[in-house]
Amino acid sequence: MDKKRIILNIVVVCLILFSLYILQNLLMPKYVSAIVEGSLIEEYYNEKADYNHDIIFIGDCEVYESFSPISLWKNYGITSYIRGSAQQLIWQSYYLLEETLKYETPEIVVFNVLAMQYNEPQKEAYNRLTLDGMRMSASKIRAVKASMMEDERLIDYIFPILRYHSRWNELTSEDFKYVFKKDKLFHNGYYMRVDVKPVTSIPRGRKLANYQFGDTAYLYLDKITKLCKDNGIELVLVKVPSIYPVWYDQWEQQIEDYASKNDLLYINFLELIDEVGIDYSKDTYDAGLHMNLTGAEKLSLYLGDVLTKTYDLTDKRTNKEYQEIWQEKIDFYEQMKAQQYYELEKYGYLKSFGAKAPED
Amino acid sequence: MKKLAIILLVIALFIAGCAQDDKTPANNKDGQDIKSGSNLDKADNKEDEKDKEDPDNNNNQTEYVFETAGITIAVNGELGPILEKLGEPLEYFEAPSCAFQGMEKIYTYNSFEITSYELDGKDCVLAIVLLDDTVATKEGIYLYASVDDLIKVYGDNYKESFGLYEYEEGISRLSFFVEDNKVTSIEYTLVTEE
Repeated sequence: MDKKRIILNIVVVCLILFSLYILQNLLMPKYVSAIVEGSLIEEYYNEKADYNHDIIFIGDCEVYESFSPISLWKNYGITSYIRGSAQQLIWQSYYLLEETLKYETPEIVVFNVLAMQYNEPQKEAYNRLTLDGMRMSASKIRAVKASMMEDERLIDYIFPILRYHSRWNELTSEDFKYVFKKDKLFHNGYYMRVDVKPVTSIPRGRKLANYQFGDTAYLYLDKITKLCKDNGIELVLVKVPSIYPVWYDQWEQQIEDYASKNDLLYINFLELIDEVGIDYSKDTYDAGLHMNLTGAEKLSLYLGDVLTKTYDLTDKRTNKEYQEIWQEKIDFYEQMKAQQYYELEKYGYLKSFGAKAPED
Repeated sequence: MKKLAIILLVIALFIAGCAQDDKTPANNKDGQDIKSGSNLDKADNKEDEKDKEDPDNNNNQTEYVFETAGITIAVNGELGPILEKLGEPLEYFEAPSCAFQGMEKIYTYNSFEITSYELDGKDCVLAIVLLDDTVATKEGIYLYASVDDLIKVYGDNYKESFGLYEYEEGISRLSFFVEDNKVTSIEYTLVTEE
């Protein structure tokens, strides 16, 4: 075979691979105007930070809707990032943390303990929201293996085109627009919502046959604890003040025992409603399941105060380099806040932020 | 060029051959189990078959159903007509799914509570929980009945774990939580696990 022919073959193979890459990007869901939570995990890789965040949050929706990194910066000079995602299972949190530690080593990791309720994979749809956004790595492969439902396949996560090829007939202009790059949607992993839907009733907790957290859940909590200890990171456990799903007393006792046994700080915000100043008629956008912006800012203020008093965190607000980076983030935050209040005033709901129009 | 055409054909066949089903996580906005073998799908199919056989499925005896004031409530049944008959609940709570558009709704009446889920845009019964002993199962078990009475009525074909006695019929599961030999919780649920 002559040299020219070899080069031609290489070019052809490269072209095929490039075409498949483009096709895969086109077919994968974009999660920009709907189910935006699917974009949370991948946005981390765009973070222009050649520094360690002071705090990394991991966990389910309760973290990405309850703490505002911008508020932590503005009030305490703490840098933080939330690597949260919808129904993030504890093994996903562990592997996300493992992956994050390849990029940086924070001072503190905050883990929201609601995920302890799950001991096995739940739904492919939620797996995808977390795992598709992860960059390819050994951690991602391990996360996929731990998360797959019985009828899922590893190869579909390695080559998502195999899973999404049937989307070709439902592609929209959004799919073409965001083939290569997506708009920034979050604030260091915080999902902003300024709308308000007060709590009107609190559902009773159903009786469970067994309140004991599962072995797998404990196994990964142990792994998170060990990973943090091995890397000199303080692990803080939190339970945010969502009224549903119900946080049972028996679950609370197990977490208190675990925190005590492992010498970890545990903050249950459900027991600190008055101290934090949470007002369920104003600080939630979905009747108590998630905090809105005012709720998240109150929780951040309280958490920042506890963490700065407990740990040796340096206030970086006087550092010029940090100032520039964070001013850009504050500007985006304030701009989105203003836009959301504007839409709320004009339409009665957050029309372009994935909210549902109120029923008549 | 022949080789290139063959490579492309092989790739196309490979991708097409890997098709699982048409529902992808992105078009499945309610986030329900999306595989063709999903139990909710199966439950729905069974319900459809049942409807064909017996349009008034309230009298169907192949599943556990709850009856109150002449109204029959079956799991996976459409909620709208049931609510019309039951009237205004004492309390109402709704829990939207994280990220997806599904909504779990809880309607609390005097002595029982109905939880619904969304299936293809319709609210269907996911669970019924009895709250006090003024209501009973259709077969006559009340809260605080003895475990002997329970087994006398429902038989010994149950699964027991940590004091939870579970009986299954079709897509319905009837669960009794037993403490100190007394039934302390009664719940009808849709069977959604393999």
